[in-house]
Amino acid sequence: MIVFQNMAAAVYLAAGIAAVLGLALPAPKILRGARLGLGLGALLQAAAFATLHRLDAAPSLTDLRQVVAVMSWLGVVFTLALLVRWRLPGFVPPLAFVAFLAAFGATLSPGAGVATGNAGAELGVEASGSLPHAHVLLASAGLAALGLAGLAGLFFLIEHRALKRRRAVTRRIALPSLEALDRVNRLALVLGFPLLTLGLLTGSLWLEARAGRLWSGSLHETWTAFAWIIYLGLVGLRFVGHQGARQAAASAVAGFAFLVFAVVGSGLVS
Amino acid sequence: MKVMLLGMNHRTAPVEVRERFAVDETAPVLHKLVDRPEIAEAVLLSTCNRVELVVTTPSPDAARHVLIDFFARELAREPWHEIGALADLTYVHHGREAVEHVFRVASAIDSMVLGEPQILGQVKDAYRAAADAGACGPVLSRLFQRAFATAKRVKNETGIAQRPVSVARVAVDLAKQIFETLDEKSALLIGAGEMIEAALVALGDHGLGTRRVVNRTPAHAETLARRFAGSAHGLDELESLLPMSDVVLSCVGGDGPILSREQVARGLARRRNRPLFLIDIGVPRNIDPGVHELDAAYLYDLDDLQEVAAANEEERRRESERAERIVLEEREQFDGWLVALQAVPTIRDLNRRAERIRRAELDRFAGRLQLPPEQTEAVEQLTRGIVRKLLHAPISKLRAETDRETGLARLEEARTLFGLDDVDLRLPPDDDPESES
Repeated sequence: MIVFQNMAAAVYLAAGIAAVLGLALPAPKILRGARLGLGLGALLQAAAFATLHRLDAAPSLTDLRQVVAVMSWLGVVFTLALLVRWRLPGFVPPLAFVAFLAAFGATLSPGAGVATGNAGAELGVEASGSLPHAHVLLASAGLAALGLAGLAGLFFLIEHRALKRRRAVTRRIALPSLEALDRVNRLALVLGFPLLTLGLLTGSLWLEARAGRLWSGSLHETWTAFAWIIYLGLVGLRFVGHQGARQAAASAVAGFAFLVFAVVGSGLVS
Repeated sequence: MKVMLLGMNHRTAPVEVRERFAVDETAPVLHKLVDRPEIAEAVLLSTCNRVELVVTTPSPDAARHVLIDFFARELAREPWHEIGALADLTYVHHGREAVEHVFRVASAIDSMVLGEPQILGQVKDAYRAAADAGACGPVLSRLFQRAFATAKRVKNETGIAQRPVSVARVAVDLAKQIFETLDEKSALLIGAGEMIEAALVALGDHGLGTRRVVNRTPAHAETLARRFAGSAHGLDELESLLPMSDVVLSCVGGDGPILSREQVARGLARRRNRPLFLIDIGVPRNIDPGVHELDAAYLYDLDDLQEVAAANEEERRRESERAERIVLEEREQFDGWLVALQAVPTIRDLNRRAERIRRAELDRFAGRLQLPPEQTEAVEQLTRGIVRKLLHAPISKLRAETDRETGLARLEEARTLFGLDDVDLRLPPDDDPESES
């Protein structure tokens, strides 16, 4: 597992450097190589997760490093799926570097990392069947998709600003069109919000199986519930209120920042 | 064999002069040129900005006069009598300079509009025409193949051709930054003049969908709409057409804006804030500049587009420095190949010269020595060995020098030192060291 994770980290790093070079030169062949590298890294990381159970001391499900690794891996998988349909070269460098850090972090001694806000829940893992796994996977997938929405939103804001300042054509690195970025944002929100909702529901069910109640009132739960309510509002504004693309982009960035704090940050401060 | 180039371009001659030398059918001209003993191979490039003859020649000085004379008598549509004046309007490049020039032309570094994409196709056509006419030999074939490879490298490795520098292309580029594709987008054209038509052609090349023409005079709108498969509307329908349009292109006369910020805001609300790209090329401006402050509206007027075009041109100029470095690298490689190519006959001549001397000396002493056959064979082997060992060092040096800048000069020195151009080096086939090997 460690070997695969190390290899994935190295491939992600190479893909990130190649993507930066490919965009800066610009060199389409190097960019294609970077995309392939991202795909190879995802395969290696999948192999790492598949062999996780063979470790003598398997890392805890709520270990922050493992959660971040799963999340970034899912983010890479979603992006690779998007790259089939859209030209999003600007997505590759940040994603490859985040995936590198996450994969590298996962290779450090398991269990020694900072726990998520859900750390106390480990006690009930054995007794709760597949609920803990479902919770971690669904919540990670939701975070990854909403992270992608945030990234698309960030690029949208950069591109929008450049167009408003009438400097768009002179920039060195070409970003996808506003329309493509907005579609990615919308798609990621459509995918991410239900996953996050399911992640929250399975988390509550896990708590019930462990402690006999659906709500414990921990900081992690409280902040994540706030984040979910915020996203519910964003989804409503987007699909019912016909929110403009720029506002949707800004919301996606702000929403993801809040969600990261709710899921990870609340664990750090508690 | 030297590469040589004689030509005139937009920098050295005005269009009224260049147009007198424009050639449509190059094959007959090339046939006449390569019939001259001074010219071995030739390619003629004739575009609206340049007329250039690229040749290979064994005698550059004589070829220069031939080319100027050929320019004046054969290329000019009417005979050009002022040869002196023609020399002022043209440029001549020899050897490395000529190679570099061809590479720069193919890579669009020498073009009036830096990085323009048409020139590479024109150079390819010129080369193909010369090859078809049988005027292109191994040196020019190699030169042009390398020129195409250089142009490809320049295009891929620099940004010289990336940023548009014409107003119409800038508008298309901006539209592509807003919309993923223009295929299904609807255009609303306000006005029916030449500017609108030209912009519509540029945008239409990228596959615009629906086109609606709005004009004060409906008859003019009808004419343009018919030509571009669109629909014609009166100016009173402008606001109602706005929500269903993605690109608005405006160029009409008048005192003030015909599209206000409020109208556009209402249109955006009705199209659920989907982005709207507005291009105002009217003077005075047709669209209220305040429209650009609306979130989903991107308004560019003529000055904005020209400013972006100028900035892009500056960026291309910066990128051209990287392109020049690529040209130099490729020229070095081509020089190496050319020297290597020319080293072959020199080495062959050197071997033949030595063999000729060896054979002559053996013949001279054969009568006096009266050696039996086995000893004659031994002397043959001995003399061959001495010659081979004596020539080993200079031949190795010549081969090594082909990779360096001084390669051609070394070859010239070798030919002079060993007197390779002074004697008839033909040998009977049996004595030819080349045939032995």
